[in-house]
Amino acid sequence: MFKKLLATPYALFMALFVILPIIMIAVYAFTDAEGALDLIGNFQDLAKEPALGKVIKNSIIAGLSTAVICLLIGYPIAYYLTKAEFNRTGVLIGLFLVPMWVNFLLRMMSTKAVFTVLGIPMGMGTVIFGLCYEFLPFMIMPIYTTIQKIDKSFIEGANDLGATPTKAFWKITVPLSLPGVLSGLTMVIIPSITTFAVTEILSNGKLMLLGDFIYSLKAYNLNMASAISLALMILLGISMIITNRFNKDSEKGGGLW
Amino acid sequence: MVRKLLVKSFIGIVLIILYLPIVWMIVFSFTDTPSFSGWNGFSFQNYIDLFTGQGSNSARIQEAIVNTLFVGVFTSLLSTILGTLGAIGLHAFRSKRIKAAYSTVNQIPMINSEIVTAIALALVFNLFASTLQISGGTWAETAFKLILAHTSYCAPYVLLNVLPRLQKADNKVYEAALDLGCTPAKAMFKVVLPDIMPGIVIGGLLAFTLSIDDFVITKVNVTSFETLSTLLYGLKSGKHPLPPDIRALFSIIFFIVFVLIMIIYSPKKKSEQKA
Repeated sequence: MFKKLLATPYALFMALFVILPIIMIAVYAFTDAEGALDLIGNFQDLAKEPALGKVIKNSIIAGLSTAVICLLIGYPIAYYLTKAEFNRTGVLIGLFLVPMWVNFLLRMMSTKAVFTVLGIPMGMGTVIFGLCYEFLPFMIMPIYTTIQKIDKSFIEGANDLGATPTKAFWKITVPLSLPGVLSGLTMVIIPSITTFAVTEILSNGKLMLLGDFIYSLKAYNLNMASAISLALMILLGISMIITNRFNKDSEKGGGLW
Repeated sequence: MVRKLLVKSFIGIVLIILYLPIVWMIVFSFTDTPSFSGWNGFSFQNYIDLFTGQGSNSARIQEAIVNTLFVGVFTSLLSTILGTLGAIGLHAFRSKRIKAAYSTVNQIPMINSEIVTAIALALVFNLFASTLQISGGTWAETAFKLILAHTSYCAPYVLLNVLPRLQKADNKVYEAALDLGCTPAKAMFKVVLPDIMPGIVIGGLLAFTLSIDDFVITKVNVTSFETLSTLLYGLKSGKHPLPPDIRALFSIIFFIVFVLIMIIYSPKKKSEQKA
């Protein structure tokens, strides 16, 4: 009983600063500037916003390219890092994680400075580079964890039964690592389109993704900012449910880390 | 083995790209050119300027360091206390439904988009400021606001670092302490806390690192309160966004973060890496 009581401060704090904020988003999304109930007004205003179409188009291009590039680079890295011949001590995986802890603004501004020295013009290409730079570890980690958990005897069995290593890889490792790939994709696509400041820095303020758009809305229309935030949370919720369903089949394969 | 060589060079190239901007910045922290080109002789002048307050951004840097550390230390303390108590309490519950509710709420700040979390917190702070009739704009009020905001997403990480330790610890020792006449509070300090201390320390370090690194939530919730991240953001549109003393400062921070991360990751086995 005494121990259970200890959870109260935490529960209260989370209710005030995690659950209440989400309720507030919903309240603002469904009311107008005067606080009167208005179920569709903010969404209609959003649809009328001239910049939004371009923002969504840019977000889809940037988000999907980032996801595909991170997958193409991250999967082989995660796969080979699970093999002792490349990563005996586990130090290498640490090296892939350290940049994640360096302030991302600093990394993006250094990247920009390097690009400037190399004479590379800022635009969509440099933005996608920056996003891949920021989110690659989020693709590597879940795939690495799922592949590490695959029972080695499956692959040995396949080899004993005559499969070539290539065939065993495609028939066993790839299907069994799909939950990790799926969590990786969720952890790359949504954060990359809602990231804020990366686009601004690496495109010299020419491009805007959803994150920058929400931030710019915040200054003059909290209701519209809330409406779009609510839509994003619902999207995130749906993708989480799908990912969790996949992961349940494989005993929680691809965790967050 | 051609394949082995190919794989090694692939991993090597990706690592070089990941570290190139950071290394480039560190190299250029030892010269005083305005941009990242045109080497102007090796010197420690940037570092000397940084510590003697002679650099072009010294006043802002000092203010930002004080603010960032203040918020970081108190966020870390508050997160550690709340997260540890939360973990002990959660561990004591038998009901699966309560556990599931906890872990769902716990996950929200970790997976929600940062900008959405930031806007949601701003709405709550607006609500509090108008109900309590305060402006929310003074230094102390802003610092307090940021500590609460940062704690809301740092405490879950502490909880997730402490929980596995509790699951491994033997609850019988706690019960024996009670049987032998300890009060629950005393048994908690003498038996449970020492058992889970490594998780608490790592959780606290993690909360500190997350707090000093935060940009989005800070930026959305402050007006005139400089942290290291907002300082960087303020410099972004200048002609040369990373001036010499800023490069020196962040080279030092890089080494501190590097050491902290090595401490956070090193004593743990592969199976229980962060959360």
